[in-house]
Amino acid sequence: MNEILLAEFSSPKALLKAAEVLSDCGYSKYDVYSPFPIHGMDDAMKLKHSKLGWIVLCGGSVGLLTGFCLQTWVSLHYPLIISGKPFFSYPAFVPVTFELMVLFSAFSAVFGMFALNKLPQHYNPLFKSAYFRKATSHGFFIGLDSTEKGYDREKLRELLGTIGVNHIEIIEDSE
Amino acid sequence: MVKKQLLGHDIDVSDKFSSLVRGLFIVAGVFLFISFILFFFDTHYFFFSYLTSYMFFLTLTLGALFIVLLQYVTAAGWSVVIRRVPEVLMCNIPLMGILVVPILFGMHDLYHWTHLEAVLHDHLLQVKRPFLNTAFFIIRMILYFVVWSWIVKKFFKKSVLQDETGDHQLTLDLERSSTYSMIIFGLTITFSSIDLVMSITPHWYSTIFGVYIFAGATLIAFSVTSLLYMFLRKKNYLKDIVTVEHYHDLGKLIYGFNIFWSYIAFCQFFLIWYASVPEETDFYLKHFEGSWTYVTALLCIGHFGIPFILFISRWLKRNLTYHACMVGWICFMHFVDLYWIIIPNITPAGLDIHFIDITLFLGIGALYFAMFFKNLNKVCLIPKKDPRLSESLNFVNF
Repeated sequence: MNEILLAEFSSPKALLKAAEVLSDCGYSKYDVYSPFPIHGMDDAMKLKHSKLGWIVLCGGSVGLLTGFCLQTWVSLHYPLIISGKPFFSYPAFVPVTFELMVLFSAFSAVFGMFALNKLPQHYNPLFKSAYFRKATSHGFFIGLDSTEKGYDREKLRELLGTIGVNHIEIIEDSE
Repeated sequence: MVKKQLLGHDIDVSDKFSSLVRGLFIVAGVFLFISFILFFFDTHYFFFSYLTSYMFFLTLTLGALFIVLLQYVTAAGWSVVIRRVPEVLMCNIPLMGILVVPILFGMHDLYHWTHLEAVLHDHLLQVKRPFLNTAFFIIRMILYFVVWSWIVKKFFKKSVLQDETGDHQLTLDLERSSTYSMIIFGLTITFSSIDLVMSITPHWYSTIFGVYIFAGATLIAFSVTSLLYMFLRKKNYLKDIVTVEHYHDLGKLIYGFNIFWSYIAFCQFFLIWYASVPEETDFYLKHFEGSWTYVTALLCIGHFGIPFILFISRWLKRNLTYHACMVGWICFMHFVDLYWIIIPNITPAGLDIHFIDITLFLGIGALYFAMFFKNLNKVCLIPKKDPRLSESLNFVNF
């Protein structure tokens, strides 16, 4: 049976320190939970840079092409004379092209973020812990997954003890 | 985390640039002399070429003034260590005031509305006469430079005074002054660009033109500021003070203002193109004549397209060599932009680069930077007692 070791720390500083120590010891299957973003946490956890930018770039490019091609197609296949301009008047296409680029970029940013964060998530073993609820207001937590190679409950207790953990809870995941 | 403190070993230039200043003055003398000789070969062209180079450095100076005002009006913290270079750049306003004199002598060559016999037969010019006449033009020029010098002197004096006294009240005073100075700046840059540039084609008008010049001015000022800090960095100044974080933010501003320029440039074109009113299309028709079409295309691709794609990334903004190349390219494009606005009025058939374009640009440029380094020699490289200095020293992009 899998389990999650939930450790609580007293301050954002302690949490940052704990993440640093854990990633230095080679742990990677853990996550930190705090009520607000903590500057420098990405570096402490040795996280790679988000791929979101590339997703937005793709979304934006698709929007740009869609906007331009749509207008070109429509104005060539349903020709209307507008203020004496040629049918393929590309300067007139710019605003709509731009807006579609922005729209598609925004969509890919929001939904790309959901996908990268594996949202929406209706179940997480951490929800079982009543204690964990204060992560949204004043609790600073680290959750370590037991599927990690070299996971040893007692050794972790000892390690976390040396860096000033407040409270440790083991949450069993029946799935 | 340890807070960075000011150590003070590499923030004082103390006359180390005096040989550079001397060299630049010599270069300026040589090129201005060559230009002066070329003046007698083609007087008419000389003034258009002069106005182009002049506008390049005037926009740089005014853009620098805008940067300084912007920092005070927003009470910005991160940018304190990158304030001194724009402050010294804006001090060149009196120099630009002297350099405007040849334009006043060349008014007859530059501005069609100064030709009385033409005005007599031209209804539009007659209607515009209360504004576009020689006497009022000169009065306005004097007014602009008096107002600009007054603002520049106030901001520079108090900022340098704070280096000695460390009085926080000075910052508060300047924050208060920056509000109305900003409004004055907005009005004067609009009207001066209408006078100096837009009135070359006196039938044409574009209400967005002042913003267009302003966008270019801010862009060039941020770009040159970034390049000058990299130059100081190369000379081993401010190495730990102006960090990659500050260059990153300068890069963001340059990128943003480049898009702003493109937006304004396109808006101006778009509305005129759509409406197709004869008086308004006058300006753009000149720019789609002969090889000017290629310059127009170069502006679209080079001024907007290339930086838009190649300067978007965080990593590229933080790579200083790359950053310098990109920003240098943007500076070049700003010159092309001004060249494209002004020169088609004199060589309507197509692009025709004259030798004097280069000598005048180098001459005025060398004189401009000689004065810049001369002034920089006298002051500390950062506002060392600014109340927000610590915030700026420890600034990090997350």
